[in-house]
Amino acid sequence: MTPGASPAAGGSGEIPDRPAAGGREHGAGEAGAGIGVGIGAALADWRRRSTWVDMVMLALRVSLLVLVSAGLLLSLAHNEYSAGDWLSFAVFGLTLGSIYALISLGYTMVYGVLRMINFAHGDVFMAGAFGALIVADPLIATGSLLAVLLLIAVGAATSAAIAALVERVAYRPFRHRGTLAPLICAIGVSFVLQYTARGLFGTGSRAYDDIPLLDGVVTLGPLQVPLVQIFVILAALLAMGALHLLVQHTRLGASMRAVAEDRETAALMGINADRVVTLTFLIGGVMAGTAGVLYALVFKQIHAFMGFAIGIKGFAAAVLGGIGNIPGAMVGGFVLGLAESFGPAALLSGFGIPAPYQLKDAIAYGLLVIILIFRPQGIFGERLAVKRM
Amino acid sequence: MAAHTSLKSIATALAVTMFAALPASAETKGPVTDENGVVVVPAGEPLQIGSFLSLTGADAALGIDARRGVEIALEKISGTYKGHPVEIVYEDETCSPEGGQTAATRLASNPELVAVLGPSCSGAGRAGVPILWQHKVPVVGVGPTSPTLTAPTRGPTFDGFVRVSFNDNATGKFAADYAFKTLGAKTAATLHDGSVYGEQVVRTFEAAFKAAGGEIVASEAVGAADTDLRPVLTRIGTKKPALLFAPLYVSTGAYLVRQMGEIASLKDTELLATDPILAPAFLTAAGKAAIGVKVVGIDFRPETLGPAYQTFVETYKTKFGEPPISSFHAYGYDALGLLLAAVDKAAVEKDGTLYIGKKALNDALHATAGYDGLTGKLSCSALGDCASPVYAVWEFTSEQPDSYALGTNPKRVDK
Repeated sequence: MTPGASPAAGGSGEIPDRPAAGGREHGAGEAGAGIGVGIGAALADWRRRSTWVDMVMLALRVSLLVLVSAGLLLSLAHNEYSAGDWLSFAVFGLTLGSIYALISLGYTMVYGVLRMINFAHGDVFMAGAFGALIVADPLIATGSLLAVLLLIAVGAATSAAIAALVERVAYRPFRHRGTLAPLICAIGVSFVLQYTARGLFGTGSRAYDDIPLLDGVVTLGPLQVPLVQIFVILAALLAMGALHLLVQHTRLGASMRAVAEDRETAALMGINADRVVTLTFLIGGVMAGTAGVLYALVFKQIHAFMGFAIGIKGFAAAVLGGIGNIPGAMVGGFVLGLAESFGPAALLSGFGIPAPYQLKDAIAYGLLVIILIFRPQGIFGERLAVKRM
Repeated sequence: MAAHTSLKSIATALAVTMFAALPASAETKGPVTDENGVVVVPAGEPLQIGSFLSLTGADAALGIDARRGVEIALEKISGTYKGHPVEIVYEDETCSPEGGQTAATRLASNPELVAVLGPSCSGAGRAGVPILWQHKVPVVGVGPTSPTLTAPTRGPTFDGFVRVSFNDNATGKFAADYAFKTLGAKTAATLHDGSVYGEQVVRTFEAAFKAAGGEIVASEAVGAADTDLRPVLTRIGTKKPALLFAPLYVSTGAYLVRQMGEIASLKDTELLATDPILAPAFLTAAGKAAIGVKVVGIDFRPETLGPAYQTFVETYKTKFGEPPISSFHAYGYDALGLLLAAVDKAAVEKDGTLYIGKKALNDALHATAGYDGLTGKLSCSALGDCASPVYAVWEFTSEQPDSYALGTNPKRVDK
């Protein structure tokens, strides 16, 4: 886990495998010999040093850039959407992105301390939404903001408890075995959580009662934003801010960073690594549970199997931001949400593709692929070549 | 050695594939010879009938409702047919192509099955029916309505399929006529979820709406698992359609009605949905946003379908403690009745043992004429359409799931 730019991340994040194209031997002479000669020499040098893989990757990058730029320009030239529509897309994307970001934090924190992908995390998110459902009706009936906050607290507590329990019962026994067992166990836990929820709450969709407090609409110039979306974005930002403070400015946060950096050395310095790992799961669960309740507030429909698809999106957001990196996960979530919201309108409608919104997920995951091609370590990620465990 | 084994495996697989592709040879068992094979049900042994329905997930009401209809039909014959206990083997098709494929594969592995009832959803049928027909098991559809399943172009893999549910060619046309003539909509947008059902009914609606003189200003689609429909609704809103026709299932339909209210540009747009959301589960998912939603579906009121249906609904309420939870119950009831009527014609009984030729049974199903079902007189066409639907438009009046009852919530609004 690298909250912010960790020393191991190497500042700019990437050390070139070979000297930059052109190299120093051309540097001084190029100015005198003219720019054209310099570019030609640089190209010749690049071609000499490059393999066919480099050339294919370059062609791919250029093609993608051309395609994305053409789509963007054509869509803008089409002038189909008003300023209000574009702003609406932004709000939709931020709302969805808030939820992705909160979920992705759990993936990234667990990966940071254990180098493990917790594939049950999507179902921990689902459990939070259902945990709050149990108390939703009486709380919502009071009609107060405090009740809504309590609802979030119940969801967060449910997910946190489940996440910590899962870590203790299902993951810890396999932690030091270095096999695929934790991964397989995570998938098993995912099914256990799904089918437990199905048994307890049925297979159909459930919903919280409508909350009059969040029913209004806020008018901002040409934009009418439902109050619930503003609430969700603010609540998510608040939760993420609190997490940032915890990781950066508390003793627990320092312990988490130390364990993420080198678990054995941290243990030698007196840090109880097991406790830190459990707390990491717990905090990831708090974020997931918060996301679960916010999701239920904004989309108003939850079901036992919803964790899978949204969990995958949260995982994608964590990879996009640079898995193991907390600010990266937050940014990754928002980028993914905005890509889904803007992508079809901004990139596809200009090509005249019918029903572009059916390709929303293709755009979101396409973006993931593009970013990983240009920057394999993700937006804020560490260099992959650095081994720290 | 490994290479040798591998070659041998490939050769065996090829041989099996080629054998499977060959037409089945005629089979003689007891007094029956049938080119598709013969199912033998020894005296006292159960008559096994398969069933693949949507039994879990957001659209479980469709399958559970049909299953309850099958159970009432079974109860009516005291669970036996000519001295053989009737055993229904249920599988869950989850209202998805993958679910249909899995369920059909499991059912097809049972050589004792006489026929299969189901599926609930067209996508599951599209994937599952060919698998069952590969084993020459006839299928009686209890819910799939996509025109492709009984279209002339459907191909020979659907030769063993008939359905008691209606064909959406009629649904789309009825919806388009209602939108254009009754609601006075001159422009319409459409939205489907990429399912076989949704896409087909949208196409028939669009063709009929244009033929009536209307204009389709937007033709959009979302994914079946999408939860945030606001961007696509914003896009539709830029076209300012008078009507949005959206044949969606429960979950996506509920997201739609909840989020449509958030799009200012759609505030004057009328929404017209279709029968998959005619279920209390939709009210649970959609809440107050369900109130006022108009739905095209079959007129399943007791006063329309007659006294037999009235009695059926009373039995349903007594047996399951609630009124019908979807509009598929009568299809389940009719499917079992129609199948057993065809078995009556195709089966030969000797010393208490039933011999049922698979081709003879399929031919008997397709030759059904004037079968007196709960949903009307059923007569199957050569392509397998047996229903004679009477359509209506319904409008939800309350968001309370326990108030669901065709006639009051939703109430009929097209007359």
